[in-house]
Amino acid sequence: MQALLVRLLAESVRQWRVPARVAIDTDGAVRVIGLGREIVVTRAGDDLPFRWFVKVTTPGQAAAQRPALSVVSVLRQVRLQLDPAYEKQRIRVAPPPVLPPLADPSGVS
Amino acid sequence: MIPVILLTGFLGSGKTTLLARLIREPEFARTAVIINEFGEVGLDHELVGRSDESFVELTTGCLCCKVRSDLVETIVEMLARRDAGVVMVFERIVIETSGLADPAPILHALMTAPGLSGRIRLADIVTTIDAATGVVTLALEAVSMKQVAVADRVLLTKTDLTAGVPVVLSQQLDALNATAPREIVIDGRWPGAATLGGMRDGEEVVHLAERLDLAAAARAHDADDRHHLDGITSFVIRRSAPLAAVALTLFLEALAEQCGSDLLRLKGLVAVAEHPEQPAVVHGVQHVFHPLTWFERWPSRDHDTRIVCIARGVSRGFVEALLSAIEAEVAEVQGMPD
Repeated sequence: MQALLVRLLAESVRQWRVPARVAIDTDGAVRVIGLGREIVVTRAGDDLPFRWFVKVTTPGQAAAQRPALSVVSVLRQVRLQLDPAYEKQRIRVAPPPVLPPLADPSGVS
Repeated sequence: MIPVILLTGFLGSGKTTLLARLIREPEFARTAVIINEFGEVGLDHELVGRSDESFVELTTGCLCCKVRSDLVETIVEMLARRDAGVVMVFERIVIETSGLADPAPILHALMTAPGLSGRIRLADIVTTIDAATGVVTLALEAVSMKQVAVADRVLLTKTDLTAGVPVVLSQQLDALNATAPREIVIDGRWPGAATLGGMRDGEEVVHLAERLDLAAAARAHDADDRHHLDGITSFVIRRSAPLAAVALTLFLEALAEQCGSDLLRLKGLVAVAEHPEQPAVVHGVQHVFHPLTWFERWPSRDHDTRIVCIARGVSRGFVEALLSAIEAEVAEVQGMPD
């Protein structure tokens, strides 16, 4: 799983055009270093209701750690640290019909 | 549902000429037409030569910015008049955009308007390109690139002036949208017009995936994709194992969240693990998606999931990595082997 996360984060920083390095430690922690920050992603324990921890260390500030529910959440947190222009878009699903279709006089269905 | 055909293309690329000829063809007799012209006084209706009540001209601004709500209201009203027997029982709607229109917001409006849900389906996006001026237009006008990138079909006009399709133009079109079939239209005569709006979503995706596979094979010798115009590229993501429904949901949400307006179009035929015998059809423009629809059965022996992405500045590697990570995580949570 961590290998896939490394691949995802490496592809992501390339796409965001952020000069950052992504690597995996021997203990399985995934490390992203860029823009003067170090972000470490580790697995949460099986007894916790989330799957990952994201710890951000910025020089001159105390490290901040937040939980993440999924790899999608990890990706969001990493991007918020490395891509200042990022504005997330929420998916919008076109409304399904709330009534059955009318009988069509032309037979178009 | 009534098929809607969006006819787009840059200024002077031959949309109105095409439309004028199209609606004179017998098979297009029962067609409602909406023309959007940018300017105070519209002329296109005169050029098209029709003025009955199933013909509406929107001249208050550009469809993609000012008059999107007008468009939806117009279609709703047309449908109501059709249902009431006030206008002819039209079988399709053709919307001609202004030459400067970005098609994406128009597609959003058509896809998301509650009043249109269940009544219309987006059947075809047809983009005209002037063979004589297209090279320069595509190089300079971002909106023109977008019009090509989202097209289901590209119609090349004025090839009689250039003795064929210029090689550079073909290369530009390959870069922007390798999958859309290209046809030549001279003086508005389009031999393939009869097939317009005739394909159902699933069939369209299958054809699209096949064309993408062919395009990928043709480009196999060229590993460098960076020459794509404005960073627009198209690729297909394939999976032979069905996707868990939750993985598909997370994937689409994450794509929309991460790529936003750079995801120009996404179409897919998906094998969902919980219901693999019927393929699900996904269809999105930027961050807006149609609700999933289901095909009764697979249209061919190929039951692989195929998701076609046309995007700007979004790499295939990123999309592949995103889906793989989500699939693996969902499998892990569900206690399945990767």
